[in-house]
Amino acid sequence: MFAASFFEWLSTSPWANAMNGPEWAFPVVQSLHFIGFAFSIGTIAIVDLRLLGWAMRRQSAAELAADLDPWTRVGFALMLITGPLMFSADAVSYHNNPSFQFKMVCLLLALLFHFTIHRKVARSGASPLAAKLAGGLSLVLWTGVVAGGRMIAFV
Amino acid sequence: MSIASVLEWIESTDLSTAIREGALPYPIIGGIHLLGIALFGGMVLVTDLRLLGWAMRRRPVSDIVQQLQAWKWAGFVVVAVSGLLLAWAEPQKLYRSPAFWVKMALLALVGVHALVFRARVYGNTARLDVASTVEARLAASLSLLLWAGLIVSGRLIAFDA
Repeated sequence: MFAASFFEWLSTSPWANAMNGPEWAFPVVQSLHFIGFAFSIGTIAIVDLRLLGWAMRRQSAAELAADLDPWTRVGFALMLITGPLMFSADAVSYHNNPSFQFKMVCLLLALLFHFTIHRKVARSGASPLAAKLAGGLSLVLWTGVVAGGRMIAFV
Repeated sequence: MSIASVLEWIESTDLSTAIREGALPYPIIGGIHLLGIALFGGMVLVTDLRLLGWAMRRRPVSDIVQQLQAWKWAGFVVVAVSGLLLAWAEPQKLYRSPAFWVKMALLALVGVHALVFRARVYGNTARLDVASTVEARLAASLSLLLWAGLIVSGRLIAFDA
């Protein structure tokens, strides 16, 4: 099967060997992954809390979203570099791990939502109900990503 | 009473056993700890970046610091309580872990940081709205370093045998 041989190849790639080499490689890359999601999910959550009307009410959601966007992207970049690096270290078992699969579904939905509806609602000053729904759903999706990620090690 | 016997007693409590041996409590509490880091950590980042003048420059410092303060406290409580529960589950392992002690030392430094900078930076934002100060930028830089150090040392605990 193509996918299986791809993941096997991935786990023997030079970057996988680097990840599986020194003892400190994995925890350090994982720490960078955490720092990345604090940047991205942390800044998205601030916008979400504003959409829900719970935080930062002196600013509009549009202003917050625009001002925090560069830092959200810094976080995305860090996550999307460190995540695949960790994945390649043990590609076959991650690929088969139900928590990992759950996380990837949540991540795809969360990213898709972030760059479409969430962005539109945050920037256009949509009706309070739409804003609350978008903020709430975004928080739920990103919570799924983090929770799924945490569970990978326990499944 | 020796430290060893205190650690043994903690591990023998029902709460400790339940977290350590149940299938769900440990990952769930770990998940809450991690979510707290994302939310609360993100807010610390944004505050520090604003103090450094790197983010949200359209808004006065006082707006950001004041509006995030209550949320940061709430996040801190979530991370601290979940962290305490995780530690309660396996105190003997943590006692032997160098990374755990590094993390505890960094936490103590977070307390020192608050004592040193609270009045002059975080409680004095009206002054910072006029012009940034060296103190404010120093406080933000040190806060970012401590924050990153806490994440790295926390993660390394899992890799200490």
